[in-house]
Amino acid sequence: MIFRLALRNIIGNGWRSLINVFIIAIVMIGMIFMESMYHSWTLLAKTQQKEWEFGKGMFRVNSYDPFDAFSWDKSFEPLPDELRPVIERQEAVPILFSPGVIYPGGRMIPCMVKGIPADQTLLNIPSSRLVERTPGYTPAIIGQTMAKSSQLEEGDILTLRIKDVGNAFNTLDLEIVHIMNTPVPTVDGGIIWMDLSTLQELKQAPSMVTAIALQDPSLGVLSLPGFHYMDEKALFFDLDEMMKTETVQKYITYSLLMFLAMIAIFDTQALAVFKRRKEIGTLTALGMSQRQITTMFTLEGGLYSLFAIGMTAILGTPMFWYFATTGYIMPEGYDSFGILGFMEPIKMSYPPLMLLQVFSFVVLVSVVVSWIPARRIARMKATDALRGKVV
Amino acid sequence: MQELIVTVKGMSKAFPTGEGEFLALKNIDLEFGKGEFTGIVGPSGSGKTTLLNVIGSLDVPSSGEVEVLGHKVSKLSARQSAELRSQHIGFIFQTYNLLPVYNVFENVEFPLLLLKLNSEERRKLVNEALEWVGLTDKIKSRPAQLSGGQCQRVAIARAMVKKPSLVLADEPTANLDTENSLHILKTMREINLKTGTSFIFSTHDQKVIDFLTRVIKLVDGRVAADDLQTGA
Repeated sequence: MIFRLALRNIIGNGWRSLINVFIIAIVMIGMIFMESMYHSWTLLAKTQQKEWEFGKGMFRVNSYDPFDAFSWDKSFEPLPDELRPVIERQEAVPILFSPGVIYPGGRMIPCMVKGIPADQTLLNIPSSRLVERTPGYTPAIIGQTMAKSSQLEEGDILTLRIKDVGNAFNTLDLEIVHIMNTPVPTVDGGIIWMDLSTLQELKQAPSMVTAIALQDPSLGVLSLPGFHYMDEKALFFDLDEMMKTETVQKYITYSLLMFLAMIAIFDTQALAVFKRRKEIGTLTALGMSQRQITTMFTLEGGLYSLFAIGMTAILGTPMFWYFATTGYIMPEGYDSFGILGFMEPIKMSYPPLMLLQVFSFVVLVSVVVSWIPARRIARMKATDALRGKVV
Repeated sequence: MQELIVTVKGMSKAFPTGEGEFLALKNIDLEFGKGEFTGIVGPSGSGKTTLLNVIGSLDVPSSGEVEVLGHKVSKLSARQSAELRSQHIGFIFQTYNLLPVYNVFENVEFPLLLLKLNSEERRKLVNEALEWVGLTDKIKSRPAQLSGGQCQRVAIARAMVKKPSLVLADEPTANLDTENSLHILKTMREINLKTGTSFIFSTHDQKVIDFLTRVIKLVDGRVAADDLQTGA
C-alpha cells in the first residue's frame, strides 16, 4: 500500500518528478560513462601492453631494475635451455636490453637498445622489418615518439655505441628501416629495436637475454636460475597503482555528480515538509502512522532513482552503444602524452556488475537523502501539521 | 440508555506559551452517544478545534480523561491512535484537505487502503460513498477541478467510506456559500440518520447550528451550555 501511495505521489507530482528523474538519469549516465571509461581504458591498456611488451607473463633477470640505470649494463643471463623449444614454437620471445648512445647527425642521444628475434610473432613489435638490410648497415626500428624526439626518419643512418661485457665500447652503424606506430609508450620512447643476435654479438654476450615474454603463463612455475617470473599482477603493478590514484579522482567526480542529483531529491523531499505539511497532517488524521508516513516519503525518494534507471536505459543506450562499437577517441594531441591506451579508440564495455554497482549506489544514496527530511516529517505533530505549522 | 461513544471527564488542555502556558480547555465533562448530531459552538479561540483534536486522538489531554470507543486517548501509543483513527473515526476539515495528486475516487479510497481491504470491496464502498454525496460522475476529477462544495462532498465521502462510528467535522461549512452549506448539511444529516454514525461538529455557523440535535457551547475553554434541539 505504501508503495502504491508513494508511486501515486510521484506520478501526481508531474513535471517536478520528471525533472528529478531526468537529473538523476543524467548523473547515472555520467557515472556509467566514467566508470566504463576507466574500466575499458584499463582493459585496453593492459591488452596493448600484453600484445606489445609482456606477453601473458615474463621472466626477467634478477639483476634488472627498471628504475636503476646502472643495473642495465649487466642485466642479462644465458637463455635457459628449458625455454628454447618454447621460443622455437614462437610461444616465447627472448629480449636483451642494453643501454647505449646514438649519434644521429652529430647529436648524442642516450637510449635503451633492445634486441628481439626478427622472426618472432608473439609480440606486435614489427621485428620482421629487422631483416631488411642495406649493405653495411644494421636495420633498426624505432617508435613514432622516439622518431619525433630524436628527429629521425625512415632511412636515416646513425651510429650506435654500447659497452660490451668487457667494458669495451663497440659501435655499429644503424639504418632506421621502420618507424612503428605503437600505442605502448614503454616500447617507444628512448628505445631502439634491433635483431637479438646482432645485439648479442655487439655486446659480446652470446645467448644472453634480459627478459623472456611468454604466451603461456603456466610456464611461470619453471625455476630458472638468475630469473624471476612476473605474472600479470606484477607486470601491471604500476598501471594498477596509477589507476588507484585515478580512482580517487573518479570518486571526487562521483561525489560532485551525486551531490547535484541528491540536491534535486533533497530539495523535493525537504520542501515537502513545508509544502505538504497539511497533507501530512491529513494523512495522520486519516490513520496513517508516523512510521508509514516516513516510509512513504523515503520510498518516494527511492522511487525517483528507480525510475531514473529506466530513463538512463532510454537516454543512455544510444550513447553507450555508440561508444561500445565506435569507441571513444581521445582528442588530438593526447597520443603524445605517453599514456597507455590513448592512441586507439577506447571501446567501452559495461560489465553487469559495474552497472549494478552504479545503480545500487544511486538508489542507496537517494533513499538516505530522502530519509533525512522524512525523519523530520515524522516528528511533526498532526495538529501542527493540520494548522500548517512546521516543526 | 443511549450507548456512549465518547466520554470526557475533567479534561483540561494546556499549550506552552512564552510566559508559561495557555489553558485552552478547562475541566470539561461531556458525554456523546451513538448516532448524535452534535455541535460544539463558540467564538474563535474558545477551544472547539482543540476539543475535536483530543477526541480524534490527534492530541492528548493535559489532565483528565477522554475515552473514545472504549480507548483512553492519553494511554494510546502513536500507533494505537493511528489505528483508532483509521478504523473508527472520520475527519472533515474546513479546508477539505483532499490529497491534490489523487482523483476523487482515490481520495475516497484512501482510508480503505489503510484498512487493507481488497480492491473489489474498496470499489464497492467508494461507489456507495460517492452515491451518498452525489458525485459518481466526478470520480476521475482531481480536487483542483472541483468547486468548494464538491470538494467538501468528497471529504464527507472520504470520512464516511469506512462507515466509522464517529465523524469529527471542523467548521465544515466555513468556506462554502449558503446553498452548498445547506446541501452538505443535508447530506451529512441523511447519512447520520441512515447509518447511525455520530457526528460532532465544531462551528459558529448558524446554518449548521440549525441542523444540530444537540448544541454544546464553549466559552473560554469551558462548557457554558449543553442543550438538546428539537426540529432539526
